[in-house]
Amino acid sequence: MLARLKASLADFGELILFGGETFAYMARPPWRVELLVQQMAAIGVGSTFIVAVTGLFAGMVLALQGNYAMRQFGAEGYVGGFVAISLFRELGPVFTGLMVTGRSGSAITTELGTMRVTEQVDAMESMAVNPVQYLAVPRVAAAILMMPVLAVVFSATGYFGGYLIGVHVSNIPPGPFIDHTKSMVEMHDILHGLLKALIFGGVVSIIASYRGFAATGGARGVGEATTRAVVASSVAILVMDYLITFAAIG
Amino acid sequence: MAMIDVQDLWKSFGDKEVLRGISLRVERGQTFVVLGASGSGKTVLLKHVIGLLKPDRGRVEVDGLEISRLQGRALTEARQVFGMVFQGAALFDSMTIFENVAFPLREKQRRIPFAELRGRVVESLRVVDLGEDILDSWPSQLSGGMRKRVALARALVADPKVVLYDEPTTGLDPITTDSVDDMITQAKERLGVTSMVISHDIASAFRVADRLAVLYDGRIAAQGTPDEVRRSDDAYVQRFLALWFEKQ
Repeated sequence: MLARLKASLADFGELILFGGETFAYMARPPWRVELLVQQMAAIGVGSTFIVAVTGLFAGMVLALQGNYAMRQFGAEGYVGGFVAISLFRELGPVFTGLMVTGRSGSAITTELGTMRVTEQVDAMESMAVNPVQYLAVPRVAAAILMMPVLAVVFSATGYFGGYLIGVHVSNIPPGPFIDHTKSMVEMHDILHGLLKALIFGGVVSIIASYRGFAATGGARGVGEATTRAVVASSVAILVMDYLITFAAIG
Repeated sequence: MAMIDVQDLWKSFGDKEVLRGISLRVERGQTFVVLGASGSGKTVLLKHVIGLLKPDRGRVEVDGLEISRLQGRALTEARQVFGMVFQGAALFDSMTIFENVAFPLREKQRRIPFAELRGRVVESLRVVDLGEDILDSWPSQLSGGMRKRVALARALVADPKVVLYDEPTTGLDPITTDSVDDMITQAKERLGVTSMVISHDIASAFRVADRLAVLYDGRIAAQGTPDEVRRSDDAYVQRFLALWFEKQ
């Protein structure tokens, strides 16, 4: 039991060091812009559709639930503000983080893990190329840059879905729906959500890259690494979400 | 001055002593084979030569540089003298053959003009008897033997002084093994590179080696030209070689 705890702490320490190494290499040339753009396309553009669909339905269900709860107080007009605040502050970054974990985080671990167990990472090192700088840096930087964009896509389509359901199904007048959104949502709400998304982008991609590099054995080892990466990233997103929210509004 | 000079190298992992006082010299332009059974410590020795592991005691010099003491950027730069061919070829499977072979050059000279890059990739493939027709292929489309050849082309493209081969013939059929042996000899003859081959394939070792060392239990049991090793009176070497000579 104690040995397992010790091993887990050592593993966590390694993860933190790996994150530090990745950021140190990020600040150091050579900067491989073409690899960054490739990864931004894979993580960002590639995830847009699934993030938008998830956002749309999240917004629609929020409007239904919001209307159901607020109708009891005759406050249906506030549904627009409720949907927008929920999306921008909370659901946008968290759901986007979880979707990117499932789609891109798992892909990063599988790809790097396969490269590790087939000696491609060693080959890179033998050619005087640092694998962390070549492989991890573009992925982490791309995730940090693209996650806020995806979170905005999620929240925007979510708000659109909420409007469709709120106005056209629940028959909330469009005027109060939009007016209360404007009066309730402020810039710091949006920044709060963007900051979360940015942090989640870094956390998910560092965990995924670290697990990939640490993979051992063959296909089974890569599979285990991917499972661990997805579980750890998902838990990390929810824990970080609480900590950031607590720090912001305590 | 020898190209690779290993002096009294010791390495342990936990309680297990893997290398116990290894000394060997690889002269320039020579093919040196380290022969040994699985677990004899030969891969650990190779990792010390390229600086992936640090010794507990002893030193490794490559081209006059003490690689066993270097770290960080100095070590990365020192590695530019090497080209390495991995056991499973280790081609980047997300890149075409052209991109694979071009990789070390692009990383070494980031502003290299495309025409020059292509010319050197084609030339490097020609050294290992491969044509331009495979440039746009993917590693998964090639046979095991061809992948090994591409791996050597990639190792040679940036003009290394030393090529390291990790078990180059493991898992290959006899005909492909022959062609990989030829490829090692051709790389030496055409380009004059120094080669260090780690292997447990006795037939192949005797075919390509100028000098060889037999590693047993972390020590060198015999070292010399193929003839000198064959005549060694070390009991392990005799037993190790007898198995193969009986088969012949």
